[in-house]
Amino acid sequence: MILLILFGTFFVALVLGVPVAFALGLSSVATVFYMDLPPLIVVQRMASGMNVFALIAIPFFIYAGELMLHGEIADRLVRLANAAVGHVRGGLGVVNVVTSMLFGGISGSAVADASALGATLIPMMRKKGYDDDYSVNVTVTSATIGLTIPPSHNMIIYSIAAGGTVSVASLFLAGFIPGIVTGLCLMIAAYVIAVRRGYPSEAFPGFRYLLITFAAALPGMMTAIIIVGGVLSGVFTATESSSIAVIYALCVTVLVYRSLTWRKFVVATVNAVRTTAIVLLVIGMASAFGWLLALNQVPALLFDLLVGISSNPIVILLIINLILLFLGTFMDMSPLILITTPIFLPIVQKLGMDPVQFGIVLMINLGIGLVTPPVGSVLFVGCAVAKIRIEDTLKTIWPFYLALLLALVLVTYIPAVSMTLPNLFK
Amino acid sequence: MRPQFFKVMSRIASISLFLAAAGLVTMTIIIGWQVWGRYILNDTPHWSERLSLVLMNWYILLAAAVGVREKFHLGLVLVRDSFGARVKWFAELITNLLIGGFGVVMVIYGSQIAISTWTHVIPTLGVPTSLFYLPFPVAGALIVVFSLEHIAGQFSQSSDQAERTGTDQ
Repeated sequence: MILLILFGTFFVALVLGVPVAFALGLSSVATVFYMDLPPLIVVQRMASGMNVFALIAIPFFIYAGELMLHGEIADRLVRLANAAVGHVRGGLGVVNVVTSMLFGGISGSAVADASALGATLIPMMRKKGYDDDYSVNVTVTSATIGLTIPPSHNMIIYSIAAGGTVSVASLFLAGFIPGIVTGLCLMIAAYVIAVRRGYPSEAFPGFRYLLITFAAALPGMMTAIIIVGGVLSGVFTATESSSIAVIYALCVTVLVYRSLTWRKFVVATVNAVRTTAIVLLVIGMASAFGWLLALNQVPALLFDLLVGISSNPIVILLIINLILLFLGTFMDMSPLILITTPIFLPIVQKLGMDPVQFGIVLMINLGIGLVTPPVGSVLFVGCAVAKIRIEDTLKTIWPFYLALLLALVLVTYIPAVSMTLPNLFK
Repeated sequence: MRPQFFKVMSRIASISLFLAAAGLVTMTIIIGWQVWGRYILNDTPHWSERLSLVLMNWYILLAAAVGVREKFHLGLVLVRDSFGARVKWFAELITNLLIGGFGVVMVIYGSQIAISTWTHVIPTLGVPTSLFYLPFPVAGALIVVFSLEHIAGQFSQSSDQAERTGTDQ
C-alpha cells in the first residue's frame, strides 16, 4: 500500500503534467504523510541530497559546455571533421558522427550537442542534397555519444547515486571505448543509408588544410582534455579541473577565438544556471524519493522478483535493460540515474558486473531514451532545429536505433569493452 | 488580474535569475582561488568547497523557483496536451496547485529546520547552519507565488496575460 501511494501519486502527477522533480517531491510528501513520519524529513532528505561536495562539479561542466557553445566552437569542429572524413561516401553523415564524438567530449550534454551541431550541420547537409530526416536522425542519435565519451556530468551523477564507491576517474576511462564503439555503429548505419540514397561525398582537401582545421579546433578541444587529464592524472579533483575548464573556456572564447561577446557571456551563464537548477532540483527531490524506496526495501523486493523470473544472468540483464529503455522513453536521464541506480546496482553486482561497467550501460541505455518519443529532449531539439515534424524522422530512424541498441548489447554483455582501460590503469 | 501584478512577478523572476547567475560566477572564482591556493601558494583554503556548496544551494533553489514561472522543469506534457481544452485547463490548474503545495511544504518545514539549526555552526565557515537551509523556505515562497501567478493567469485567459506569464523571458 505504501508503494502504491509512492508510485501512484508519482505517475498521476506525471501524467497531469507536473514536472518530474515536483512529482518526485509530492509523492514523497504523500508517502511520508501516509507512513505517519514527520513531513520535515522530505525537506531534510532533499537538503542532504544536495549537500554533497561532488555536486559542485556539475554546474562547472554545464557552464564550460555552454561557454564553448556560445563561443562558436561547434563550427571549428565541423570544419575539422569535414576535412578529415568528408571524402568518405555519404561524407557529411559520417562527418556528423565524428563531430559529435569530438564535441560530445567537450560538452558532455546531448541536448547541447544536438542544438549546437544541428544548427551548423543540418543546413549544411540540406545544401548538399541530404534529406532532412536523414540529417536529423544522424544528428540526434550521434548526440548521445557525448554522454559516454568523457567528460560527462551524468557520470558524476551516477558516481553519487552509487554512493560514492565508483570513482569518476574509472568511469571516464571506461567511457572512451564504448563511446567509440557507439560512434562506429552509427557511422556504419549512416554510411549504408547514404550509399543507398546516393548522397555525395566531399573532395579531400589535403593534409595541409586538415592540419590547419585541427590547429583551429585544438584550443577548444583542450577544454575536454583539461577536465579528463586533470581527473585521470589525479592532479586535480573533478571539481577543480572542471572549474579550471570554465576559466580556460572563458579565456579561449574571449582572447583566442574572440567570439564571446558580453551578451553571449550573459546568455551562456544564465543558460548554465537554468540547466543546473533543473538537474540539481531533481537530484534533491530524487534523494527524498530514493530514501523512501530504500526504507520500504524496494531494491530487495525487485531482486526477488527478477530472480523469480529467471536465474540466468543474461536474461536478468536483458530485463533490466528493457525496464530502463521503457522508463527512458518518457523520463529524463538524471532522475532515472538517481532512482534506478540504488535499485539495480546491487542486483547486477550480485551477477558479477562491475559498477563501472553498469555506469556505462546506464549512459548508453538512458541516452537512447533521449531520442525516443513520447519524451525525447534530444530528438525534439533536432527536429526543432531542422523544422521538420517528429513523425517524419521516426519513419526512417530505425537503423540508427538498431545501431545504438547494438552498442548497448556489446557494452552490456562484453565487460572488456568498458573495463579494459580502467583495468589497465588500476 | 491587474497587469501590475504580472510585471512585479516578472521583475522578481529576473532579479532571482540574475542573482543565481552571479552565484555561479562567484562559485567559479572561489574554486579557481582554491586551485590557485593549493598549487601556487601551497596553502589550500579549507572554506572554499563548503562555501561553494552553501552558495550553490542558494542559487540552484532560486533558479529552480524561477523555473516554475518559466516552466523549464522537465515533465511529461504530451498526455495533457492530448486532452480537450477544458480537461487540459483543469489538469494545468491541478498541476499549478500541486507545485504550489510543494512550495508550501518547503516554506513550513524548511523554515522549521532553518530555525532549529540557528545555533549550529557550519564547520570551517563559522556561520549558522541555518544559512544552508534558509534557501528552502525562500525558494518555497517564490514557488508558491509563481504558482499563484500561473493560476491567476489561467483565470484571466480572456486577456493575453496567460500567454505572457510563461514566455516573456
